Amino acid sequence: MRIGITKFPGTNNEQDVLRALSILDVKGELIYPWDDKKLENLDALVIAGGFSYGDYLRPGGIAAQSPVAEKLIDFEKNGKFIIGICNGFQILCETKILPGVLTTNLSTKFICKWINIKTENSQSPLLQNLESIIKIPIAHYEGRYYHDSNGIKKINDDDSVAFRYCNEHGEITQKSNPNGSLENIAGITNTKGNVLGMMPHPERASFDYLGSDTGRQIFANLIEEIKC
Amino acid sequence: MQIQTANCLHYGVKTGIFALVTYSGKAKDVVVLNDKEVQIIFRDSISAFDGVKKEELAEKGIINCLTSVKLFEILDEYGFNTHFISKISDSKLLCKKVTILPVEVVCRNISAGSFCRRYGFEEGIKFKQPLIEFFVKDDEHHDPLITESVAVQMKLITDNEAILMEAITRAVNEVLLKIFDLISLQLVDFKLEFGRTTEGQLLLADEISADTMRLWEKKTGEKKDKDRYRQELGDVIVHYKDILDRLNSIQKLPNYKPLSTARVIIKLRKSVLDPAGEVTFRSLSRKGFKRIESVRLGKSAEIAFNAVPSSELQTEIEEISAKILSNPLIEDFDLTIRHHLEKSEKEHVKEE
Repeated sequence: MRIGITKFPGTNNEQDVLRALSILDVKGELIYPWDDKKLENLDALVIAGGFSYGDYLRPGGIAAQSPVAEKLIDFEKNGKFIIGICNGFQILCETKILPGVLTTNLSTKFICKWINIKTENSQSPLLQNLESIIKIPIAHYEGRYYHDSNGIKKINDDDSVAFRYCNEHGEITQKSNPNGSLENIAGITNTKGNVLGMMPHPERASFDYLGSDTGRQIFANLIEEIKC
Repeated sequence: MQIQTANCLHYGVKTGIFALVTYSGKAKDVVVLNDKEVQIIFRDSISAFDGVKKEELAEKGIINCLTSVKLFEILDEYGFNTHFISKISDSKLLCKKVTILPVEVVCRNISAGSFCRRYGFEEGIKFKQPLIEFFVKDDEHHDPLITESVAVQMKLITDNEAILMEAITRAVNEVLLKIFDLISLQLVDFKLEFGRTTEGQLLLADEISADTMRLWEKKTGEKKDKDRYRQELGDVIVHYKDILDRLNSIQKLPNYKPLSTARVIIKLRKSVLDPAGEVTFRSLSRKGFKRIESVRLGKSAEIAFNAVPSSELQTEIEEISAKILSNPLIEDFDLTIRHHLEKSEKEHVKEE
């Protein structure tokens, strides 16, 4: 099984993802921006968070022009799995693999804290057997999910919303929305369900000693799917 | 407009000769060969003051044709898009078929001609920056000066075309100044006409010759252009021929590093909340700036291209702006393309 984890200049979450995979007995391998040819041999790709290319232009805007990103559309079309976390989610939106865009938090502050999300979509294999409320950290300045009204309608109709920000009781409220995302959207999938993009960090919620291990199941699902 | 016979051709008269459509101007005939190509025939006619003064001067057609060929070839060498394809004979050119835009551009380095008449300024004032003027091609109203915004409002040209026409004209001026300097001539001013292909590409069209520019002998200031005819100075053909001979004597074209810049302003769409702009607004209001209605923050990019301005360059900049510099879901962009003054020799040395 070969799972790649992207490492752009400025990516700073790849080690955390490697650790989360290794506890599940999978040795991930780092994929650099120029490693586009390596994608063919991978079963899945995790686009790790951070600040690729210093968030110049727009978060993910430059990484989306890299050789690796150019191959992502084919990678996705071939039914392979992609998980984009935080900056990875921004990159997936910039490459148009996922709809919408992530823009500046309403508070204009960098937000780094534990929040709760509710699993919405039941179709994607990546979202099976998850706790209904996941305690998980976020750390971003530009995490406000935005799409025009038609776009929002479409992802709802397609059942593509993966997670919504909620309070500890699972209620999706305005107060539990940390960044002003439309309809509290914290993560979405593509219609096929093989691509997941999310602002919260499941790799930082994969060990009890970090405060939560409820995010680990996402990686477990990924590994399970590749095995089948 | 009165229809004339084929022998007595006036501007804009369209006649059918042997099933080929011919358009005739004051000094040239244009024969439409097919959808893509025309033949331009230079006649010996010369006229001034909107055709009030006119005459036939032997060899004038050939000389202007060959001068145009030479100058179009030079401009082509520097990367400008022109309608010129090839020379058929000494007085006939094969050119791309274009729709001539009803607005022509004049670039002035030194005051002369209608500029002096219009404002009462004396001839020979050297401008700090080349002046660009737009004129409507309309003999009936004596080719009046028009502002860019009126030309766009009246749909004579599009705003994109206006920007591009000015940028191209400035770049052409830089090249021609160098060329004529090399052969001891002072480029006082010149006129350019533009044409649009069916694909929307903007091309330099018509002719570029001593009929469409003012050239003075660098040392003596002697006039060598159409002013010789307008002002009855005589020896028109002698001087026209001398310009052509000097152009033909150029062995090596001068170095010219083209530089165009595009400024792209990227703005958040109105429908998207701009928290950073909102915070700035509140801060400004708190400081006592009471008249501010709202603040929106954006980004700007200044891109330099090693190319002369052209339709292709404009398309390329639009693609860059729409696909990469902005995210169309949340952002809009405005762009302007400019021709940039070439850096002085000194600055080049510094960089090296």
